[in-house]
Amino acid sequence: MSLIEFKDVTFVHQNGVTALKGVSLSVERDELVGIVGENGAGKTTLVKHINGLLKPTSGSVTVDGKNTRDVSTAALARNVGIAFQNANQQLFSDSVENEITYALKNFGFDPGLIQKRLDWALGFFGLEEYRKSSPLILSGGEKKRLTLASILAWDPDVVVLDEPTVGQDAIQKEKLAEIIKLLHSAGKTIITVSHDVEFLWTLQPRLLVMKQGSVVGDGPCATVMKDRMLLEGARVSQPQLVQLYDALNVRPDQPFRDVSEARAWIERGTS
Amino acid sequence: MYWLAGGFLFRRVVSPFHKLDPRTKLIIAIEFFALSLAASSIISISAVLLSILGVAVLARSLRRIGRTMAFSLVFAVFIFSINIVFGLGILRAFTYALRFLAIISSTSLFFVTTSPDELEQIMKWLRVPRDVVFAFVTAVRFIPVVMLDTFQIMDAQKSRGLELEKGNLIARVRNMIPILIPLVVNSVIRSGELAEAMESRGYGSTPHPTSLYRMKLNWYDWVVLVASVAVFGVALYIYHFYNFPF
Repeated sequence: MSLIEFKDVTFVHQNGVTALKGVSLSVERDELVGIVGENGAGKTTLVKHINGLLKPTSGSVTVDGKNTRDVSTAALARNVGIAFQNANQQLFSDSVENEITYALKNFGFDPGLIQKRLDWALGFFGLEEYRKSSPLILSGGEKKRLTLASILAWDPDVVVLDEPTVGQDAIQKEKLAEIIKLLHSAGKTIITVSHDVEFLWTLQPRLLVMKQGSVVGDGPCATVMKDRMLLEGARVSQPQLVQLYDALNVRPDQPFRDVSEARAWIERGTS
Repeated sequence: MYWLAGGFLFRRVVSPFHKLDPRTKLIIAIEFFALSLAASSIISISAVLLSILGVAVLARSLRRIGRTMAFSLVFAVFIFSINIVFGLGILRAFTYALRFLAIISSTSLFFVTTSPDELEQIMKWLRVPRDVVFAFVTAVRFIPVVMLDTFQIMDAQKSRGLELEKGNLIARVRNMIPILIPLVVNSVIRSGELAEAMESRGYGSTPHPTSLYRMKLNWYDWVVLVASVAVFGVALYIYHFYNFPF
């Protein structure tokens, strides 16, 4: 059985706007998934169904075999951690360590385990020096890392990242990509919602393309990103390496994964 | 929550009432407000309330004002209960609760049918200082934004295991801390950014800025104004000289 299953899910907001239209998809354990689409395509609405923040108007969502209608958000959140786009909408504690341990206390973790998880999270995200500082004095990048730390501290099986690269500089993005790859290799199921196609290209996830509440594309990142018509229809741009690949007269079967691969191919052709 | 708050927020609707000059709408709302206070019997207050609802139908805003009333019903029940406890009798307690609903509905009628731009024009017309007008109108305009913030913060905290409905009254109040602190912090950050953006676009550079829109009383405004003042006078006369059975 798949870890996450959407079966013909439709969601209509209170104001009557239909945000999801008959979405059916499944996500397996350990899978790395990226979701792209224009603003208002339903990406965030889709991921909010995974921990039960939103319940489908029709259809069903099951996570680890549990129908989200039958389980509270708090119970689902134990296995599904969502890091939202705006860090300022989450941080409230008087210190970084209290911010990280907030959820662990909510979930009733043992104090010894809380201490261990706190030390791990502070070290992993490079926040040790801010342990006693207020989260509000941190920079944008540090706040983002803190929100991730406060989610990963309780070790959820599924990690959902909503626009993780917003407000991040190039170095932070690289670090974030490394963290995601590391978590994926550790067996986590990662779902990343992003407009940043260059960032997603470095991750090479299974890619879902959303348009007006429907999933219009689903497949390996390299295959989906090659489909220019599909992406243009969903108002998503191709990564630069794919654009370069398309512009070449002689090219390999698959687009270049990184600059060194592209350079090697071009140098081989010119030598 | 959003459903309830909708009862206090303006939405552009095409209706004869919305077309009126904001000053006309303000005067009608004040008349309803005054009649709600002046009326002292269930029959007279019910008549005021029904008149407000009648105007709401005309303004195609009955549902939205209904939301306000649904929200206010909780307080009306509280007012009724308190008056019963203090021995004022069922009829008087009911009168006070009904009066409260009429007052709220008259206010809601004005806010639901008057845009923030129109509010700004009225306040300027009343010679309210420009900075005060700007602060007030911005606060009104930002209500939907703050509400959206609140929902997003609630989602973020619920995703970390917060259960707002869990525990006794004190625990529930304590549960609001993770919602309120980010909300205040966000609002302060946003107000700073807004101030910078306004100054960058010349706010305050001239003591008497010009205005694109001007209020104008049309013939139908005068008709409505005269009619409403006449009805208001007749209603006051009836209140004063007629003894309602209850």
